[in-house]
Amino acid sequence: MSDDAARAHGWVAHLREGGTTPWLAWQGTAPVADAPARVLPGAQQLELLRRVNLARGSSAAPRGGDDASSTRLAAQVLAAPAAGRGKADLPLVGVATSGFGPRPVDPAAVGARELLRVASVVLADDLVALGPDPVTTGWARPWRRRVRLVGDPVTAGILREHLAARGRPQGGPRPLLVALGAPLDELLARTWTQRCFETGTKPWPEWLRFWRERDQLPARTDLAASVERWPARRSHVRVVTDLARLPQQVGVRRLPAVRVPGADQTELARRVAAVVGLRVPAPERPALMRTLQRRMPGTGVAPVGVPERERDWVAASAARMTRAITRAGYPVVGDLADLAPRATASAVAGADDQQVLDLAIAMIADPGWRQARRAAGRVVER
Amino acid sequence: MSRRVLLHVGCPKTGTSYLQDVLFRNQETLREHDILYPADRFDAHFLAALDLMTLPWGGLETEAVGAWDRLAAEVREWHGTAIISHEIFARATPAQVERALAALGDTEVHLVLSVRDLVRQVPAEWQENVKHRSHITYAAFLETIRDPARDSRIGSWFWAVQELPDVLDRWGSTLPPEHVHLVTVPPSGSDRGELWRRFSRTFGLDGIDLDLTAERENPSLGVPETALLRAINQRVTSVVAPPDYRPLVREVLAHQTLSRGFASARLGLPPDDHAWAQQLSRAWVQVLRERDYDVSGSLDDLLGPDLGTFTDPDTSTADQLLPPALDAISALLVEAARLREVEERLHRELHEAREERDRVRETTTYRAKRRIVTTLEDSAPGRGTLEVYRRVRGRG
Repeated sequence: MSDDAARAHGWVAHLREGGTTPWLAWQGTAPVADAPARVLPGAQQLELLRRVNLARGSSAAPRGGDDASSTRLAAQVLAAPAAGRGKADLPLVGVATSGFGPRPVDPAAVGARELLRVASVVLADDLVALGPDPVTTGWARPWRRRVRLVGDPVTAGILREHLAARGRPQGGPRPLLVALGAPLDELLARTWTQRCFETGTKPWPEWLRFWRERDQLPARTDLAASVERWPARRSHVRVVTDLARLPQQVGVRRLPAVRVPGADQTELARRVAAVVGLRVPAPERPALMRTLQRRMPGTGVAPVGVPERERDWVAASAARMTRAITRAGYPVVGDLADLAPRATASAVAGADDQQVLDLAIAMIADPGWRQARRAAGRVVER
Repeated sequence: MSRRVLLHVGCPKTGTSYLQDVLFRNQETLREHDILYPADRFDAHFLAALDLMTLPWGGLETEAVGAWDRLAAEVREWHGTAIISHEIFARATPAQVERALAALGDTEVHLVLSVRDLVRQVPAEWQENVKHRSHITYAAFLETIRDPARDSRIGSWFWAVQELPDVLDRWGSTLPPEHVHLVTVPPSGSDRGELWRRFSRTFGLDGIDLDLTAERENPSLGVPETALLRAINQRVTSVVAPPDYRPLVREVLAHQTLSRGFASARLGLPPDDHAWAQQLSRAWVQVLRERDYDVSGSLDDLLGPDLGTFTDPDTSTADQLLPPALDAISALLVEAARLREVEERLHRELHEAREERDRVRETTTYRAKRRIVTTLEDSAPGRGTLEVYRRVRGRG
């Protein structure tokens, strides 16, 4: 083994033991006997592991080999491929190569986006290993009002779970069809957000552009179309724009807390969902992603918002949707004027790669989100 | 356990679609000769490649879950020779190659790489990008792939699947050279059967009576046709999702319509890029000669054709684009009419099913029961009573 290769293997061993020394500052080597026969991991995997070690509070001094979970974690990160069509595993600068293949790099210079490709695989594998959270259901209360929820998918999802836990699963014969409204810019953002936590989709700006250029609204955002999809009599429909009056409509004392994921959480979920799609059969992905949604640690980053350049289109779409609901004559709880977009100063137009990477590294370094099982009443495995 | 596996890992644009289609359609005949091509659909090995390499692919990846492990298990269990073939395996990283070879167990692995000169591969790869939703101009594509940094998505992919010495380093470095087989694509104008004969020799298919009809190929496009498709992509890729793009644009437009423009100028390289490609090819050929691989064809095939007349697709005029554009409109209208027929048939079937249901419901007893249920559902005690009744009758 050449000197530079021995130095590289030594660095890999250092990182496996929790080390945090950057590659260019690394001077150690691995004894030939200790050097693994395996190929060197890519610079992306190695740098991600170094940053995970940093996040775990490691010092340059190795922790020793008695920490089995650290060893497993290191092996997992180093074996994770970079998801999707992008750069292949990159060789380390300073280690001799054949002269073919990608150009060697300093791992510290690898961008956040490249590291995220690896981190999303690690998190997806963690999520698959964790499995879906059990779904809590209560004893059936068939005498209570039956409801079907459409519209705002974040609120609808949380409310559906809340009702199911109280013995009131969605649907049944002749349910009250409740369309959950919100300012259209928020509805769009929440629809994309929820999609990321189900099957994944394209990035937020591209997704928005897709619908704007088509001059259409996504199925779950278009309240009039969502209602029409179900064969309900007009008297069994409520379009709710005033959330304060929603509990009365669905027959609960108060609404569960609705936490809209931040832009960084959603972007990370979008990336993880793509990998989960390669790991489990399609019907199993939504339950796993719901589990991630519940367990993902908060960071305080605001949810995505509609950028200024799309606002005219959103306003026109809201006006069109309002006209469609008015013409259909559906009972409205609240004021349809509230469907008009509402500019939010704190909304961010998209996630910053570094913020997303920070969240991913925090989740890899601290497995707390994977450990606590939810307290459940009567649970049904789904 | 398989005695031998022929692992065909690339390269793209070297006749692989035709080879895979022949192998897929002749599975039974091949089995009679102890040769396994384990595939339940023509693109089964593509899915295995997506799985092995963790490659999301416009939603197709959801069909790829566990595909590599299943394929490897089938190969391991076969008693004779097995063939695995897909061109995107060429992109696998060293770690993925290690996993792939380990999954094949103690089987004797033979690596097959079908290869074509860069002079033809570069324009072919640009066309392939255009057929996969890209609207990058040809000039920008050439600039991207000649950038030594290979930082772009297009550049990194291109070299990962086309840089022959690197592909062979990743896949073949642990194999003896006599287990690494190169199949060179013959020069333009060669006999149409020559490439198949080279494949046949390498895969040990000589003497087997196979149906060689070309049912599925990945045909190339002429210059104006590719330029038109690129222009269409500029308009539609932001509003047509991949699951719709694949059947409507790639299949109906590109493969079934625009590829028929046989009289159109074929795409080549500008003089400067031609010289660069040939110089690089010479360097590769020298490296490959030293490695003593088994070659079907000649390594000289990799030098490519001499410089010909270059027709620039980025400067195609409206007059040149009009004929293929009219063909495209015509093809899409025919496809729309076909889909309308399908829609009408489905409406008809649904209508008939509803009529059948209503006939069943027209009895007096059914109407009376329906009235009782409707009345009960209007009150909470009634709904409770109905629920109890349904539970007792097991009709939850």
